[in-house]
Amino acid sequence: MSHDETLAGITEVLAAVASVDASDVAPEKTLAELGLDSMTALEVVVAAEDRFGLLIPDDEAARFRTVGDLVGYLERAAVPAR
Amino acid sequence: MAATDLRVAIIGAGIGGLSLALALRERGLTADVYEQAPELTEIGAAIALSANSTREYARLGLLDELTAASTIPTELIYRHWRDGSRIAAHPVHNDNTYVSRFGAPYLGIHRADLQKALSGAFGVKYVHLGCRLVNIIEDNNAVVVEFANGRVEHADIVVGADGVRSTVRRWVTGADDAVYSGTSAFRGIVPTDNLPSLPDPHAIQFWMGPDAHLLHYAIGGNGELVNFFAVVETPRMWLQDSTVADVHEDVPIASFRGWHRAVTEMIRAAESPIRWGLFTVRPLLRWYRDRVVILGDAAHGMLPHHGQGANTSIEDAFALAAFLTESRSDDLDTAFVRYQTMRRARTRKIQRSSWVTSSLLHLPDGPAASVRNEKVARVPQDFGWIHDYDVQRALAALTPPVAARPSD
Repeated sequence: MSHDETLAGITEVLAAVASVDASDVAPEKTLAELGLDSMTALEVVVAAEDRFGLLIPDDEAARFRTVGDLVGYLERAAVPAR
Repeated sequence: MAATDLRVAIIGAGIGGLSLALALRERGLTADVYEQAPELTEIGAAIALSANSTREYARLGLLDELTAASTIPTELIYRHWRDGSRIAAHPVHNDNTYVSRFGAPYLGIHRADLQKALSGAFGVKYVHLGCRLVNIIEDNNAVVVEFANGRVEHADIVVGADGVRSTVRRWVTGADDAVYSGTSAFRGIVPTDNLPSLPDPHAIQFWMGPDAHLLHYAIGGNGELVNFFAVVETPRMWLQDSTVADVHEDVPIASFRGWHRAVTEMIRAAESPIRWGLFTVRPLLRWYRDRVVILGDAAHGMLPHHGQGANTSIEDAFALAAFLTESRSDDLDTAFVRYQTMRRARTRKIQRSSWVTSSLLHLPDGPAASVRNEKVARVPQDFGWIHDYDVQRALAALTPPVAARPSD
């Protein structure tokens, strides 16, 4: 999965779980700037797990500050598709 | 095959399993419950039911029977471990605060009383005792379950409601995902009359101190008994196969040396030299495999510090019943995926919050405890979301929505 595909997937998750407008999502945006408190952020993490099929440990998730942190984690953790 | 023809086998007649049986019946599905114990008895344990589960039981018409066996706490009080001073207090029954806010009551009840009410409502003839699961075998479009007593049953769906050390979960994930928390508990049930030093015996109270806390609340129709749960940060490792271990009779009291007399008096009165290891289940990516699905502690065993282990099992049960009602025997995946997506998020939040709470309750006196004390003063604001949750409303809010209540 490419970087753009991962970001697009996260954008959809943010829209579905936290009603974040797709045009507001960018890698450098912090989760707080998108209006997510720690509990909503955890919902986003769980939905991202379902979407990408991998588990994100809670202590990793607690370190995510920006959208890019979450995308970066998924890219490192995912088994390359090709 | 229509959903109402599904044969559902529930493994475990605890609170989650029996609640699922009732929730399925409410929606027109039948189920059988298989329990390894030869009798439905729970030793020395009580639970606190909060509005997120009592509103479901209220709809089933069970509330009068449950209330008759319960005590509603007057207040939620946090106290200092040694001098007993009130650090924070929040009304529960007082001024009808809790019911006015959440629309359903908070009940302290003995597990045996709750189990009796649930199994009685469901019908004891559908609860099969002495059936310890030993094998699950897939067989074309069904599942075969084998029990240690030689019994063999066929089902379309098997639900593992068999607790934190779940056998069914091992079949689903292929691993033992239970994790010892590094904390253990002494618990007991004591006649209230034997606790002369205890202030506010009908409140739910946390006594918080260094590396330990004690929680208690009253149970029984007239608050005649006090159930307590005393948590310590030992042993570092849990080496027993069982989740309980006998200890020398002096161990529980020695763990609370120097604490307020109400605490030591309670532990001494219980005469219960048993240590309960507190286990959690690591977050799981999947709660099902083929025709087998898990709920409750089996899926998301958590530390009990929000009192939500049983309550979230009950939420799971009513959610799973709704999804199964809309499922087909040849497509269970859709129902299971929707169930786990909804429930994984909710339970992960509470599971995580319970971890954080555990260390907060165990601080020594000092600056960190002062910050903590400000936090416990905000508990009703900060944790209202746990009690406010309405499974039926959450189902109706999904895309696509699931019928919130059984149609009549």
